[in-house]
Amino acid sequence: MTVPTHHIVPEPPPFSTPPYPADVFAGQTVLVTGGGSGMGLAMATAFAQGGAKVAVMGRRIERAQQGAAQIAAIGVPVHALSCDVRSGPSVAAAFDEVEQVLGPVSLLANNAGANFPVLAENISVNAWNAVTRIAIDGTFHCSTELARRLIARGQRGAIVNNSAQYIWTGFPGDAHSAAAKTAQATMTKKMAADWAAYGIRVNAVAAGFFPHASSTGGDAPEAIAPLQAMIPAGRTGRIREFGWLSAMVCTPILGQLTGQVIVQDGGESLRRSLMLPDFIPPRERAGGPWGWQ
Amino acid sequence: MTLWLADKRARVIGDAPAIVAALAAQGAHLVTEGDVDVLVHVAWPPPARPAHELGHDEWRATLDAGLDRRFHAARSLADACRARGTGGTVIFVGAPEQAWGSDHAAAAGALGNLTKTLGVEWARDGIRVNTVLTSSKGETLGNLVAYLASDYAAYVTGAVTGVGLDDR
Repeated sequence: MTVPTHHIVPEPPPFSTPPYPADVFAGQTVLVTGGGSGMGLAMATAFAQGGAKVAVMGRRIERAQQGAAQIAAIGVPVHALSCDVRSGPSVAAAFDEVEQVLGPVSLLANNAGANFPVLAENISVNAWNAVTRIAIDGTFHCSTELARRLIARGQRGAIVNNSAQYIWTGFPGDAHSAAAKTAQATMTKKMAADWAAYGIRVNAVAAGFFPHASSTGGDAPEAIAPLQAMIPAGRTGRIREFGWLSAMVCTPILGQLTGQVIVQDGGESLRRSLMLPDFIPPRERAGGPWGWQ
Repeated sequence: MTLWLADKRARVIGDAPAIVAALAAQGAHLVTEGDVDVLVHVAWPPPARPAHELGHDEWRATLDAGLDRRFHAARSLADACRARGTGGTVIFVGAPEQAWGSDHAAAAGALGNLTKTLGVEWARDGIRVNTVLTSSKGETLGNLVAYLASDYAAYVTGAVTGVGLDDR
Protein backbone atom coordinates (compact mmCIF):
# COMPACT_ATOMS: atom_id res chain seq x y z
CA MET A 1 0.00 0.00 0.00
CA THR A 2 1.05 3.54 -0.58
CA VAL A 3 -0.14 6.71 1.15
CA PRO A 4 -3.02 8.22 -0.90
CA THR A 5 -2.09 11.51 -2.52
CA HIS A 6 -4.91 13.44 -0.84
CA HIS A 7 -3.47 12.70 2.61
CA ILE A 8 -1.34 15.44 4.14
CA VAL A 9 2.07 14.31 5.42
CA PRO A 10 3.96 16.93 7.47
CA GLU A 11 7.72 17.05 6.91
CA PRO A 12 10.47 18.63 9.04
CA PRO A 13 12.63 21.53 7.77
CA PRO A 14 15.75 20.63 5.75
CA PHE A 15 18.99 19.35 7.33
CA SER A 16 20.73 22.70 6.93
CA THR A 17 18.30 24.44 9.33
CA PRO A 18 18.53 22.88 12.82
CA PRO A 19 16.12 24.28 15.42
CA TYR A 20 18.82 25.87 17.56
CA PRO A 21 21.75 28.27 17.02
CA ALA A 22 25.03 26.90 15.66
CA ASP A 23 26.76 27.80 18.95
CA VAL A 24 24.15 26.53 21.43
CA PHE A 25 26.61 23.90 22.72
CA ALA A 26 29.78 25.97 22.14
CA GLY A 27 32.59 24.93 24.48
CA GLN A 28 30.75 21.79 25.59
CA THR A 29 31.66 18.17 24.94
CA VAL A 30 29.08 15.48 24.28
CA LEU A 31 29.71 11.75 24.53
CA VAL A 32 27.47 9.66 22.29
CA THR A 33 27.39 5.92 22.88
CA GLY A 34 26.84 3.87 19.76
CA GLY A 35 27.51 7.09 17.91
CA GLY A 36 29.18 5.64 14.86
CA SER A 37 26.05 4.78 12.91
CA GLY A 38 22.28 4.90 12.82
CA MET A 39 20.37 6.80 15.48
CA GLY A 40 23.53 7.48 17.50
CA LEU A 41 25.18 9.09 14.51
CA ALA A 42 22.06 11.22 14.05
CA MET A 43 22.34 12.34 17.68
CA ALA A 44 26.05 13.05 17.33
CA THR A 45 25.42 15.01 14.13
CA ALA A 46 22.71 17.08 15.78
CA PHE A 47 24.97 17.98 18.70
CA ALA A 48 27.67 18.93 16.19
CA GLN A 49 25.20 21.21 14.42
CA GLY A 50 24.88 23.01 17.76
CA GLY A 51 28.65 23.42 18.03
CA ALA A 52 29.46 20.69 20.54
CA LYS A 53 32.75 18.83 20.56
CA VAL A 54 31.74 15.24 19.90
CA ALA A 55 33.10 11.97 21.30
CA VAL A 56 31.84 9.07 19.21
CA MET A 57 31.95 5.87 21.19
CA GLY A 58 31.27 2.38 19.84
CA ARG A 59 31.98 -1.27 20.44
CA ARG A 60 33.96 -1.34 17.20
CA ILE A 61 36.52 1.42 16.71
CA GLU A 62 36.22 1.21 12.92
CA ARG A 63 32.54 2.11 12.99
CA ALA A 64 33.14 4.88 15.53
CA GLN A 65 35.86 6.31 13.32
CA GLN A 66 33.61 6.23 10.26
CA GLY A 67 30.93 8.16 12.14
CA ALA A 68 33.47 10.60 13.57
CA ALA A 69 34.76 11.35 10.08
CA GLN A 70 31.25 12.36 8.98
CA ILE A 71 30.80 14.58 12.02
CA ALA A 72 34.21 16.21 11.58
CA ALA A 73 32.97 17.44 8.20
CA ILE A 74 30.51 19.68 10.07
CA GLY A 75 33.52 21.48 11.48
CA VAL A 76 33.66 20.51 15.16
CA PRO A 77 36.40 18.67 17.06
CA VAL A 78 35.69 14.95 17.25
CA HIS A 79 37.22 11.91 18.89
CA ALA A 80 36.42 8.29 18.16
CA LEU A 81 36.95 5.57 20.73
CA SER A 82 35.83 2.04 21.50
CA CYS A 83 34.24 0.93 24.75
CA ASP A 84 31.98 -1.81 26.05
CA VAL A 85 29.39 0.16 28.04
CA ARG A 86 28.54 -2.97 30.08
CA SER A 87 31.79 -2.49 32.02
CA GLY A 88 31.93 0.29 34.59
CA PRO A 89 35.77 0.49 34.63
CA SER A 90 35.81 0.64 30.82
CA VAL A 91 33.30 3.47 30.84
CA ALA A 92 35.37 5.38 33.42
CA ALA A 93 38.48 4.93 31.27
CA ALA A 94 36.59 6.11 28.21
CA PHE A 95 35.50 9.30 30.00
CA ASP A 96 39.13 9.87 31.03
CA GLU A 97 40.25 9.53 27.42
CA VAL A 98 37.54 11.83 26.05
CA GLU A 99 38.16 14.50 28.67
CA GLN A 100 41.89 14.41 27.97
CA VAL A 101 41.33 14.93 24.24
CA LEU A 102 38.23 17.15 24.07
CA GLY A 103 37.81 18.60 27.57
CA PRO A 104 35.24 18.01 30.32
CA VAL A 105 32.13 16.12 29.22
CA SER A 106 28.85 17.79 30.20
CA LEU A 107 26.45 16.19 27.70
CA LEU A 108 25.68 12.50 27.22
CA ALA A 109 23.56 10.63 24.71
CA ASN A 110 22.87 7.05 25.74
CA ASN A 111 22.11 5.35 22.46
CA ALA A 112 24.14 2.13 22.47
CA GLY A 113 21.86 -0.80 21.95
CA ALA A 114 21.19 -3.92 19.99
CA ASN A 115 17.81 -4.95 18.64
CA PHE A 116 16.62 -7.78 16.41
CA PRO A 117 13.36 -9.68 16.00
CA VAL A 118 13.42 -13.05 17.74
CA LEU A 119 10.87 -15.24 19.50
CA ALA A 120 11.19 -15.16 23.27
CA GLU A 121 11.85 -18.90 23.40
CA ASN A 122 14.71 -18.49 20.96
CA ILE A 123 16.55 -15.71 22.79
CA SER A 124 19.84 -17.17 23.94
CA VAL A 125 21.21 -16.22 27.32
CA ASN A 126 23.96 -14.35 25.50
CA ALA A 127 21.47 -12.44 23.36
CA TRP A 128 19.29 -11.58 26.36
CA ASN A 129 22.32 -10.39 28.29
CA ALA A 130 23.66 -8.37 25.38
CA VAL A 131 20.45 -6.51 24.55
CA THR A 132 19.36 -5.83 28.11
CA ARG A 133 22.74 -5.02 29.59
CA ILE A 134 23.98 -2.72 26.82
CA ALA A 135 20.87 -0.58 27.24
CA ILE A 136 20.17 -0.93 30.97
CA ASP A 137 23.62 -1.37 32.55
CA GLY A 138 25.28 0.74 29.86
CA THR A 139 22.95 3.66 30.50
CA PHE A 140 23.54 3.24 34.24
CA HIS A 141 27.32 3.17 33.92
CA CYS A 142 27.59 6.11 31.51
CA SER A 143 25.03 8.28 33.31
CA THR A 144 26.46 7.74 36.79
CA GLU A 145 30.02 8.24 35.56
CA LEU A 146 29.01 11.58 34.06
CA ALA A 147 26.99 12.58 37.13
CA ARG A 148 29.86 11.86 39.54
CA ARG A 149 32.22 13.96 37.42
CA LEU A 150 29.77 16.85 37.07
CA ILE A 151 28.93 16.85 40.78
CA ALA A 152 32.63 16.80 41.69
CA ARG A 153 33.28 19.77 39.38
CA GLY A 154 30.13 21.65 40.40
CA GLN A 155 29.15 21.68 36.74
CA ARG A 156 25.71 21.39 35.19
CA GLY A 157 24.90 18.93 32.42
CA ALA A 158 22.27 17.11 30.43
CA ILE A 159 21.62 13.52 29.42
CA VAL A 160 19.33 12.18 26.71
CA ASN A 161 18.37 8.52 26.43
CA ASN A 162 17.25 6.82 23.23
CA SER A 163 14.16 4.88 24.26
CA ALA A 164 11.47 3.44 21.98
CA GLN A 165 7.81 3.90 21.11
CA TYR A 166 6.85 0.40 22.30
CA ILE A 167 7.81 0.96 25.93
CA TRP A 168 4.26 1.25 27.27
CA THR A 169 2.66 -1.53 25.22
CA GLY A 170 5.16 -4.37 25.09
CA PHE A 171 6.62 -5.56 21.80
CA PRO A 172 5.73 -9.18 20.96
CA GLY A 173 8.60 -10.71 19.01
CA ASP A 174 11.18 -8.46 20.64
CA ALA A 175 11.06 -9.28 24.35
CA HIS A 176 14.64 -8.35 25.18
CA SER A 177 14.36 -4.89 23.68
CA ALA A 178 10.89 -4.33 25.13
CA ALA A 179 12.34 -4.85 28.61
CA ALA A 180 15.51 -2.86 27.95
CA LYS A 181 13.90 0.23 26.43
CA THR A 182 11.31 0.59 29.19
CA ALA A 183 14.04 0.37 31.81
CA GLN A 184 15.76 3.28 30.08
CA ALA A 185 12.58 5.34 30.25
CA THR A 186 11.81 4.64 33.89
CA MET A 187 15.40 5.23 35.01
CA THR A 188 15.27 8.53 33.11
CA LYS A 189 12.60 9.80 35.49
CA LYS A 190 14.32 8.61 38.65
CA MET A 191 17.81 9.80 37.71
CA ALA A 192 16.30 13.19 36.83
CA ALA A 193 14.97 13.35 40.39
CA ASP A 194 18.27 12.14 41.88
CA TRP A 195 20.30 14.80 40.10
CA ALA A 196 17.90 17.75 39.85
CA ALA A 197 19.62 19.47 42.78
CA TYR A 198 22.93 19.35 40.87
CA GLY A 199 21.55 20.91 37.71
CA ILE A 200 21.87 17.70 35.75
CA ARG A 201 18.86 17.13 33.51
CA VAL A 202 17.82 13.71 32.20
CA ASN A 203 15.26 13.18 29.44
CA ALA A 204 14.44 10.51 26.89
CA VAL A 205 13.06 10.37 23.39
CA ALA A 206 10.77 7.38 22.84
CA ALA A 207 11.54 7.06 19.18
CA GLY A 208 9.42 5.43 16.52
CA PHE A 209 10.66 3.99 13.27
CA PHE A 210 13.63 5.94 11.89
CA PRO A 211 15.12 3.77 9.13
CA HIS A 212 18.86 4.06 8.62
CA ALA A 213 21.55 2.10 6.86
CA SER A 214 22.09 -0.30 9.78
CA SER A 215 18.47 -0.82 10.86
CA THR A 216 16.64 -4.07 10.15
CA GLY A 217 15.70 -3.82 6.47
CA GLY A 218 18.01 -0.86 5.91
CA ASP A 219 16.97 2.52 4.52
CA ALA A 220 16.91 1.88 0.78
CA PRO A 221 13.83 3.48 -0.86
CA GLU A 222 12.39 0.09 -1.83
CA ALA A 223 12.77 -1.16 1.75
CA ILE A 224 11.12 1.91 3.26
CA ALA A 225 8.31 2.37 0.73
CA PRO A 226 6.02 -0.37 2.10
CA LEU A 227 6.49 0.94 5.65
CA GLN A 228 5.15 4.46 5.08
CA ALA A 229 1.49 3.57 4.83
CA MET A 230 1.34 1.66 8.12
CA ILE A 231 2.18 4.74 10.19
CA PRO A 232 -0.54 7.31 11.02
CA ALA A 233 1.77 10.20 10.08
CA GLY A 234 2.05 8.72 6.57
CA ARG A 235 5.80 8.19 6.69
CA THR A 236 8.66 6.79 8.72
CA GLY A 237 10.72 9.26 10.70
CA ARG A 238 13.45 11.35 9.13
CA ILE A 239 16.63 10.59 11.05
CA ARG A 240 17.46 14.34 11.39
CA GLU A 241 14.25 15.09 13.30
CA PHE A 242 15.15 12.41 15.85
CA GLY A 243 18.69 13.81 16.20
CA TRP A 244 17.39 17.34 16.57
CA LEU A 245 14.86 16.51 19.30
CA SER A 246 17.51 14.52 21.18
CA ALA A 247 19.93 17.44 21.11
CA MET A 248 17.20 20.01 21.69
CA VAL A 249 16.18 18.57 25.07
CA CYS A 250 19.78 19.18 26.19
CA THR A 251 19.81 22.87 25.17
CA PRO A 252 19.08 25.86 27.43
CA ILE A 253 16.09 26.48 25.14
CA LEU A 254 14.39 23.76 27.17
CA GLY A 255 16.48 24.47 30.26
CA GLN A 256 13.87 23.39 32.82
CA LEU A 257 12.90 20.20 31.01
CA THR A 258 13.79 17.11 33.02
CA GLY A 259 12.45 13.65 33.78
CA GLN A 260 10.44 13.61 30.55
CA VAL A 261 9.98 10.83 28.02
CA ILE A 262 8.87 12.42 24.77
CA VAL A 263 7.26 10.11 22.23
CA GLN A 264 8.26 10.87 18.63
CA ASP A 265 6.69 8.16 16.51
CA GLY A 266 4.22 9.68 14.07
CA GLY A 267 1.41 8.14 16.13
CA GLU A 268 2.63 4.61 15.41
CA SER A 269 2.30 3.34 18.98
CA LEU A 270 -1.26 4.71 19.19
CA ARG A 271 -2.79 2.75 16.32
CA ARG A 272 -5.88 1.12 17.68
CA SER A 273 -9.16 -0.10 16.29
CA LEU A 274 -12.02 -2.04 17.79
CA MET A 275 -11.76 -4.46 14.89
CA LEU A 276 -8.30 -5.65 13.86
CA PRO A 277 -6.94 -8.36 11.57
CA ASP A 278 -6.86 -11.84 13.16
CA PHE A 279 -4.24 -12.16 15.86
CA ILE A 280 -1.34 -14.31 14.72
CA PRO A 281 1.18 -15.31 17.39
CA PRO A 282 4.68 -14.06 16.54
CA ARG A 283 5.83 -17.68 16.17
CA GLU A 284 3.34 -18.31 13.34
CA ARG A 285 3.90 -15.12 11.35
CA ALA A 286 5.06 -15.83 7.82
CA GLY A 287 7.50 -12.93 7.79
CA GLY A 288 9.07 -13.67 11.16
CA PRO A 289 8.28 -12.23 14.61
CA TRP A 290 7.91 -8.69 13.27
CA GLY A 291 5.79 -9.94 10.39
CA TRP A 292 6.96 -7.67 7.60
CA GLN A 293 10.35 -8.96 6.48
CA MET B 1 18.85 30.46 13.19
CA THR B 2 15.67 29.78 11.26
CA LEU B 3 12.52 30.96 13.03
CA TRP B 4 10.40 27.92 13.92
CA LEU B 5 7.04 29.51 13.17
CA ALA B 6 7.65 32.00 10.37
CA ASP B 7 4.46 32.42 8.31
CA LYS B 8 2.34 30.47 10.84
CA ARG B 9 -0.82 31.98 12.27
CA ALA B 10 -1.32 31.05 15.91
CA ARG B 11 -4.13 31.53 18.38
CA VAL B 12 -3.69 31.12 22.11
CA ILE B 13 -6.83 30.56 24.15
CA GLY B 14 -6.29 30.96 27.90
CA ASP B 15 -3.71 32.57 30.14
CA ALA B 16 -0.08 31.81 29.27
CA PRO B 17 2.21 34.83 28.72
CA ALA B 18 5.33 32.65 28.31
CA ILE B 19 3.68 30.72 25.48
CA VAL B 20 2.54 33.88 23.72
CA ALA B 21 6.05 35.30 24.04
CA ALA B 22 7.72 32.15 22.69
CA LEU B 23 5.36 31.85 19.72
CA ALA B 24 5.92 35.50 18.84
CA ALA B 25 9.69 35.18 19.25
CA GLN B 26 9.67 32.29 16.76
CA GLY B 27 7.90 34.40 14.16
CA ALA B 28 4.28 33.31 14.62
CA HIS B 29 1.57 35.79 13.69
CA LEU B 30 -0.74 35.83 16.73
CA VAL B 31 -4.43 36.25 16.00
CA THR B 32 -7.61 36.09 18.04
CA GLU B 33 -9.98 34.98 15.30
CA GLY B 34 -10.09 33.64 11.78
CA ASP B 35 -8.05 30.84 10.21
CA VAL B 36 -5.04 29.61 12.16
CA ASP B 37 -2.34 26.99 11.67
CA VAL B 38 -1.65 26.62 15.37
CA LEU B 39 -4.14 26.45 18.22
CA VAL B 40 -2.83 26.50 21.79
CA HIS B 41 -5.52 25.90 24.39
CA VAL B 42 -4.50 26.68 27.95
CA ALA B 43 -6.67 25.96 30.99
CA TRP B 44 -5.46 25.94 34.58
CA PRO B 45 -7.57 24.17 37.20
CA PRO B 46 -9.38 25.80 40.13
CA PRO B 47 -8.00 25.34 43.67
CA ALA B 48 -7.95 21.69 44.77
CA ARG B 49 -10.67 20.50 47.12
CA PRO B 50 -11.52 17.01 48.41
CA ALA B 51 -13.99 15.25 46.11
CA HIS B 52 -16.70 14.99 48.78
CA GLU B 53 -16.70 18.77 49.19
CA LEU B 54 -17.18 19.47 45.49
CA GLY B 55 -20.65 20.34 44.29
CA HIS B 56 -21.73 19.01 40.93
CA ASP B 57 -21.74 22.51 39.46
CA GLU B 58 -18.09 22.98 40.46
CA TRP B 59 -17.22 19.52 39.14
CA ARG B 60 -18.92 20.29 35.85
CA ALA B 61 -17.23 23.70 35.52
CA THR B 62 -13.78 22.08 35.75
CA LEU B 63 -14.67 19.44 33.20
CA ASP B 64 -16.18 22.07 30.92
CA ALA B 65 -13.02 24.23 30.99
CA GLY B 66 -10.51 21.37 31.12
CA LEU B 67 -12.07 19.00 28.61
CA ASP B 68 -15.30 19.91 26.78
CA ARG B 69 -14.30 23.36 25.49
CA ARG B 70 -10.92 22.03 24.47
CA PHE B 71 -12.49 19.26 22.40
CA HIS B 72 -14.80 21.68 20.65
CA ALA B 73 -12.00 24.18 19.98
CA ALA B 74 -9.78 21.43 18.53
CA ARG B 75 -12.61 20.16 16.37
CA SER B 76 -13.26 23.65 15.03
CA LEU B 77 -9.62 23.97 14.04
CA ALA B 78 -9.66 20.54 12.39
CA ASP B 79 -12.86 21.35 10.50
CA ALA B 80 -11.36 24.59 9.22
CA CYS B 81 -8.08 22.92 8.23
CA ARG B 82 -9.89 20.21 6.30
CA ALA B 83 -12.13 22.78 4.61
CA ARG B 84 -9.15 24.69 3.25
CA GLY B 85 -7.03 21.59 2.61
CA THR B 86 -4.13 22.36 4.92
CA GLY B 87 -2.62 20.73 7.96
CA GLY B 88 -2.54 22.30 11.41
CA THR B 89 -1.64 21.61 14.99
CA VAL B 90 -3.26 21.72 18.41
CA ILE B 91 -1.43 21.92 21.71
CA PHE B 92 -3.37 21.54 24.93
CA VAL B 93 -1.70 22.95 28.04
CA GLY B 94 -2.76 22.34 31.60
CA ALA B 95 -1.74 21.19 35.07
CA PRO B 96 -0.39 17.73 35.99
CA GLU B 97 -3.04 15.04 36.43
CA GLN B 98 -2.60 14.36 40.13
CA ALA B 99 -1.46 17.77 41.35
CA TRP B 100 -4.97 19.21 41.96
CA GLY B 101 -8.45 17.94 42.77
CA SER B 102 -10.31 14.92 41.47
CA ASP B 103 -12.21 17.20 39.10
CA HIS B 104 -8.95 18.17 37.44
CA ALA B 105 -7.63 14.58 37.58
CA ALA B 106 -10.66 13.49 35.58
CA ALA B 107 -10.33 16.32 33.07
CA ALA B 108 -6.57 15.92 32.59
CA GLY B 109 -6.75 12.14 32.24
CA ALA B 110 -9.53 12.45 29.71
CA LEU B 111 -7.58 15.13 27.87
CA GLY B 112 -4.47 12.94 27.66
CA ASN B 113 -6.25 10.04 26.04
CA LEU B 114 -8.26 12.43 23.84
CA THR B 115 -4.90 13.79 22.65
CA LYS B 116 -3.69 10.30 21.73
CA THR B 117 -6.95 9.59 19.95
CA LEU B 118 -7.23 12.79 17.92
CA GLY B 119 -3.54 12.65 17.04
CA VAL B 120 -4.19 9.41 15.15
CA GLU B 121 -7.71 10.18 13.96
CA TRP B 122 -6.52 13.36 12.26
CA ALA B 123 -2.99 12.24 11.35
CA ARG B 124 -3.65 11.94 7.62
CA ASP B 125 -5.25 15.38 7.60
CA GLY B 126 -1.80 16.63 8.57
CA ILE B 127 -3.21 17.77 11.91
CA ARG B 128 -1.05 17.04 14.93
CA VAL B 129 -2.39 17.05 18.50
CA ASN B 130 -0.17 17.14 21.59
CA THR B 131 -0.52 17.99 25.28
CA VAL B 132 1.79 19.49 27.91
CA LEU B 133 0.73 18.93 31.52
CA THR B 134 2.93 20.89 33.89
CA SER B 135 3.17 23.13 36.93
CA SER B 136 5.82 25.17 35.13
CA LYS B 137 4.70 28.39 33.50
CA GLY B 138 8.09 29.70 32.42
CA GLU B 139 10.29 29.99 29.38
CA THR B 140 10.80 26.25 28.91
CA LEU B 141 7.04 25.70 28.68
CA GLY B 142 6.80 28.47 26.09
CA ASN B 143 9.64 27.05 24.02
CA LEU B 144 8.35 23.49 24.29
CA VAL B 145 4.93 24.58 23.02
CA ALA B 146 6.55 26.57 20.20
CA TYR B 147 8.56 23.49 19.24
CA LEU B 148 5.45 21.30 19.22
CA ALA B 149 3.68 23.90 17.08
CA SER B 150 6.49 23.92 14.53
CA ASP B 151 7.36 21.63 11.63
CA TYR B 152 10.38 20.48 13.64
CA ALA B 153 7.84 18.38 15.56
CA ALA B 154 6.30 17.02 12.35
CA TYR B 155 6.73 13.46 13.65
CA VAL B 156 5.37 14.21 17.14
CA THR B 157 1.65 13.64 17.51
CA GLY B 158 -0.49 12.13 20.23
CA ALA B 159 2.26 12.90 22.74
CA VAL B 160 1.54 13.88 26.33
CA THR B 161 4.51 15.33 28.15
CA GLY B 162 5.44 17.45 31.14
CA VAL B 163 8.27 19.87 31.83
CA GLY B 164 9.53 19.23 35.34
CA LEU B 165 9.97 16.34 37.74
CA ASP B 166 6.51 15.97 39.21
CA ASP B 167 4.54 16.86 36.12
CA ARG B 168 3.34 13.40 35.18
